[in-house]
Amino acid sequence: MDPILEISGVSAGYGPITVIRDMSLHLDAGERIGLFGPNGHGKTTLLKTVSGLIRPSAGTISFNGTDITTLRPPEIVNAGLVQSPQGNVLFGDMRVLEILELAAFTRRARPHRADNLRTVLDLFPRLGERSGQLARTLSGGERQMLSIGCALMCAPTLLMLDEPTLGLSPRLKEELSAAIGRISQTGVPLVIVEQDIEFLMALTDRLYLIEHGEVVREIDRASTPDHDEVMQLYFGEAMG
Amino acid sequence: METLLATLVSGLVLGSLYALMASGLSVVWTTLGVFNFAHGALMMIGAFIAWTISEALGLGLIAGIAGGTAAAAVIGIVIERFLVRPFYGSRAMLLITVMTTLAAMIILEKGALMIWGARLKQLPRLVEGEVSILGATISAHEAILVALAPLLLIAIWQFTVRSATGRSLRAVGQNQESAALIGIDVPVAFAIAFGLSAALAGLTGTLLGSIRFITPTMGVEPLVKAMIVVIFGGLGSLGATAGAAYVIGFIEALLILWIGLYWTPFALFLLMIVVLVFRPNGIFGGRG
Repeated sequence: MDPILEISGVSAGYGPITVIRDMSLHLDAGERIGLFGPNGHGKTTLLKTVSGLIRPSAGTISFNGTDITTLRPPEIVNAGLVQSPQGNVLFGDMRVLEILELAAFTRRARPHRADNLRTVLDLFPRLGERSGQLARTLSGGERQMLSIGCALMCAPTLLMLDEPTLGLSPRLKEELSAAIGRISQTGVPLVIVEQDIEFLMALTDRLYLIEHGEVVREIDRASTPDHDEVMQLYFGEAMG
Repeated sequence: METLLATLVSGLVLGSLYALMASGLSVVWTTLGVFNFAHGALMMIGAFIAWTISEALGLGLIAGIAGGTAAAAVIGIVIERFLVRPFYGSRAMLLITVMTTLAAMIILEKGALMIWGARLKQLPRLVEGEVSILGATISAHEAILVALAPLLLIAIWQFTVRSATGRSLRAVGQNQESAALIGIDVPVAFAIAFGLSAALAGLTGTLLGSIRFITPTMGVEPLVKAMIVVIFGGLGSLGATAGAAYVIGFIEALLILWIGLYWTPFALFLLMIVVLVFRPNGIFGGRG
């Protein structure tokens, strides 16, 4: 069976600056993969390239067997590949409910708006409590929930999360981890970018270590299940 | 007392005109972060096209108003496509688009001079007759302008608050990248904002073309006043812009009464400078 997402030999960057070089990775059906590695080494750039925000200078990206390398972001979202960006303020001067309703914007997502809204509010009851608030008045954790909630409103068949725990307290991390686990249980494959390895280990089947814009190691959890070993790989690599 | 009433009613007419102009500027600004200097020229084009359809071709004023509004919208979309869009993401975008929209204004003004010539033109009025408001008399046509302006403003406001398309314009204005990631087509949103804004300008022009003379430079003065309005009200919020438009309309009418037509623009600009010094985000503007 074809992989759901296949990234082959992708290079990309901003203007003349190349950030990721010749990256290849894949995601199979029902799988959850994690991307980890130091800050500023190209993980977010990779997600942006997959989402179509950045046009790759080389390589191809295919999703469910279709080449999406040259598609634009709305077309990619409409195909079901949805990214939840880092938990910054999405649309600061709009209200929470308004944003969630808007997020079911694509032709494919619009008919499922009411159902998906119910799912999101079940998953993050806090967003329901804050529904009338302006997004910029939300706390960091709530912003993260809103960001993931928006992605779910797009009716994703593959969900990419960019650093969902950035700046969150341990308690909030746990809460979010449980919520993401529940999303995964509904059968949506996940790509998670994360610094927090424990968080990542709990939610993913396979890990890619990304450094200096390249995939330096693939860690299959089946063959390297031990947490300490992964930590050692990470820090060993980072220091070496 | 009667003079004052007449002045206030004339302020209401001016305010309505400025509200229609400034709300168009505000829609483009909040969506694209671009100040469209061709806005007044789009208004002028709307008036000329309406004149051609209504008078030269003899198809009637309603057809003229519809045609003028539509033509302005199309030209607005063309300006966005070729003079604004190529510069998105450029670091000096704001400055570059000041230049390119100024260029569009000059092209449209000179183009109108070549096509329609320098002879003054005027549209017939929608309705003849006069209307008395609080004892002050204005033409029925001006009364239509006064009544239409708040209705249009409310319609635009509801559009941006309730409809998915309108909300998408606000979302794009606040965070383009996140908007793209929920499937909003950002260039399409830009085109809609520009088209809507230009249609408003065109419609204003077709209505003004029955009150003032239609000339290639008829858009300059309303554009300058609309600029004062958006600076006074703070760019960004439609409500603040509309409120400021009426305030400026009244102030202008009162200034004309008190210090005369000659010194009024001077006083308005002085007021604008004072506002900029003490309230850089405008009288009604909150954050920048």
